[in-house]
Amino acid sequence: MTGAAIVTERLTRRFGDLTAVNGIDLTVAAGQFFGFLGPNGAGKSTTIKMLTGLLAPTSGRMQLLGLDFSSNAVDIKRQIGVVPEGMGLFERLTGLEYLTFVGRMYGLDRTTTLQRATELLEFMQLADRPKSVIADYSHGMQKKIALAAAVIHGPRILFLDEPFEGVDALAAGALKSLLGRMTERGVTIFLTSHVLEIVERLCSHVGIIHKGRLVAQGSMEELRAGVAEAGSKTTLEQIFLSIVGQDGAVRPQMEELSWLM
Amino acid sequence: MADVAVPVSLGGQIRLVAGLRWKIMRNYLRQKSNVLDFIGIVTAGLCAAVLVVGIGFAISFGAHAAVTTGHFSWLTLLFLGILVFWQIFPLFAAGLGVNFEFRTLLRFPLSLSAFYLIALAYGLADFSAITSVCWLFAMVLGIATANLALLPAAILISALLLLMSVTLERLLGSWFERLIAKRVSRELFFGFVILLSISGQFVKPLIDHFDNRPPQALLRFMPYLSLTPPVLAGNALNAAEAHDFGGLLLRAVGLLIYVLLFSVFLWQRFATQYRGEELSEGTAPARSAPRVKSAAIAGIDVLSFLSPAVAAVLRKDFQYLLRNGFLLMSLFMPPFLVFLFTAQFAGAHPWAIRTGVSTDTFFPAMIGYLLLMLMMPAYNCFAYEGKGIQTYFTAPVRFRDVFLGKNIMHMGILLFEVSVSILLLVWRIGLPSAPVFAATLVGMAFAGAGQFALANWASLCYPRKLEFGSMRGQHGSGVAIWIGFGSQFLLGGVCSLVLFMGRWTNNPWLPAEAFAALAAASVAGYFSSLDGLSDLAERKKERLIEILCR
Repeated sequence: MTGAAIVTERLTRRFGDLTAVNGIDLTVAAGQFFGFLGPNGAGKSTTIKMLTGLLAPTSGRMQLLGLDFSSNAVDIKRQIGVVPEGMGLFERLTGLEYLTFVGRMYGLDRTTTLQRATELLEFMQLADRPKSVIADYSHGMQKKIALAAAVIHGPRILFLDEPFEGVDALAAGALKSLLGRMTERGVTIFLTSHVLEIVERLCSHVGIIHKGRLVAQGSMEELRAGVAEAGSKTTLEQIFLSIVGQDGAVRPQMEELSWLM
Repeated sequence: MADVAVPVSLGGQIRLVAGLRWKIMRNYLRQKSNVLDFIGIVTAGLCAAVLVVGIGFAISFGAHAAVTTGHFSWLTLLFLGILVFWQIFPLFAAGLGVNFEFRTLLRFPLSLSAFYLIALAYGLADFSAITSVCWLFAMVLGIATANLALLPAAILISALLLLMSVTLERLLGSWFERLIAKRVSRELFFGFVILLSISGQFVKPLIDHFDNRPPQALLRFMPYLSLTPPVLAGNALNAAEAHDFGGLLLRAVGLLIYVLLFSVFLWQRFATQYRGEELSEGTAPARSAPRVKSAAIAGIDVLSFLSPAVAAVLRKDFQYLLRNGFLLMSLFMPPFLVFLFTAQFAGAHPWAIRTGVSTDTFFPAMIGYLLLMLMMPAYNCFAYEGKGIQTYFTAPVRFRDVFLGKNIMHMGILLFEVSVSILLLVWRIGLPSAPVFAATLVGMAFAGAGQFALANWASLCYPRKLEFGSMRGQHGSGVAIWIGFGSQFLLGGVCSLVLFMGRWTNNPWLPAEAFAALAAASVAGYFSSLDGLSDLAERKKERLIEILCR
């Protein structure tokens, strides 16, 4: 598809008898801020791991930036940035050392790497602890350094797995504005989050995965149109519950826990 | 509601924890690689068991001989040996202290009594404790076969000594854990352990210095030793043999006082821990420091001859080495031991073997020893990567670059250690003959390159996460360790054969020539293995990430 940053066809991943991702056909256009939602265990992280090369699909195809992933993995990785689940940090390096390491791994020359690393540390407000190793950072600081590492090489697609989890409101505001500016410059952002308000505020398009299947995909307006009654303003939470909660799977059977009341 | 929960009995709590341990083990063994790992550990355990049983027989015979000849002071020495082993071995084996999983039990409504008893039970599950109990049992057997009438006294005294030892070991463990909670004290302690482990080398010169007689200062302390547990135990059995039951009872009470004393201290320690005092290592908040400008750190890139990815991995591993105090300090060991070996086994020395081993024999043995010690970490080269391993798979690099970076770093360490050792050798006893020198160094290239290929494979197939800067329970995968030792002995055998070829054929340069051919093949094999290993890394990445990101 022309203009598509991410395309998957029948993307499937099985772990033994469990099918974590089941034949997903996903399309994300270049420059979109795409929110990928789903209940716990729906297959969000498995999908993002496959799209970033951390996990091999059992079957199906993936195309990123028009290139087939299986035959152009290194070329694709050069153009994407990732904040994986668990952040993937080398915790015994300082922030500067880690950013320098990542910059060099992505092929940046030393001067550019150092310049960008220093700027990113300043932007993320991490520059005042040059001697602290990442292991000594708070969770929110680790999120920020992971995000800095994901963008140091100027990626065309950015994959973020729960990027705002544990980040304070001030830092979250700065990160959101950074991500917003990146999409304005044509960067595609693929984000998973449990916080529906963040997705609603940031993302132009949303995909919802449930039990390994992609159950909804489209712009916020398209999703609203699919579930809303005429004239009403539906929130993403209502959309999410109406799609995922249809089979009652996300509604806890509270009446069965009478001993807790 | 919580208020209807029935309190669990002490026995019930202990049964629950035992069941938990069993389920963790059972689930662990469900994965094939863990089973292989377990088999490796069991095999190593069986080898250790042979050693333990062998020493047990010697102890049993010793106890038997002590009773039959009336030398009860020998029993004291045996008790002392077992006690010292029980208390000291855990420091060297780094298995001391209640482990983390155990401490997490504190969030459950576990009674202090159950917590205390489970901690003691954990103490009895240590290798040193199991071994010591076996040896105490062997002593009882030896005493009983010599004089059956002494059996009840031997059982009583051994049981008291066992109780005292396990309590003392737990007590020392909890103090030790507090001592090593800070990085600096931990590293100083590790240095002390290294010095202690090599101080045995100075026993012989000290004995010679005092002309085989104990120094007077030491003799003055001897009367006070009669109150120590091993002497009490030995004297108690001596009293039992002489039908002096008052003496037996008195000394048994003495041992009981030790048990009670250590129990009180240990109870206090665990009570403190039970109340929520965290004794393990923690992270101190760092102070803010002046910002560093990029221009100030740019400098000259000394690794510019390497590709950026290889240089990045190499630099990162070097930074990790500098921050891993244990790893760094362990690098002092090999040259220091070479220094000691040169003093004891090579050249002429006043107190060593009068006719020293020749330099031509010593030098290849020294290099073999250095390879044996220094190559083992290469068999688990991702041990300290943790979650960072994901970066290698998300970055646009082939895994061959990662291996190259890591192997160059490892080779650098190896060359540095070999260079220092050669300098020490030259200082102490001089260089070997030119053919042996050349053959050994080229042989090292052959063995090193060959091992790197195998070690990279083992690192991908049998990874094991190690805790950075920690001593406790840190070892590689059982299978990887056996692969490492197996390949080292195989390559050592080949190298020995090639070296002896020179003697058999009376052609001193033949080994160097043969090693040159082997080294060329080995280096070519290493480079050709890298692409295959890159593909293997892709296939193994899920398992690698799963293990290292835990």
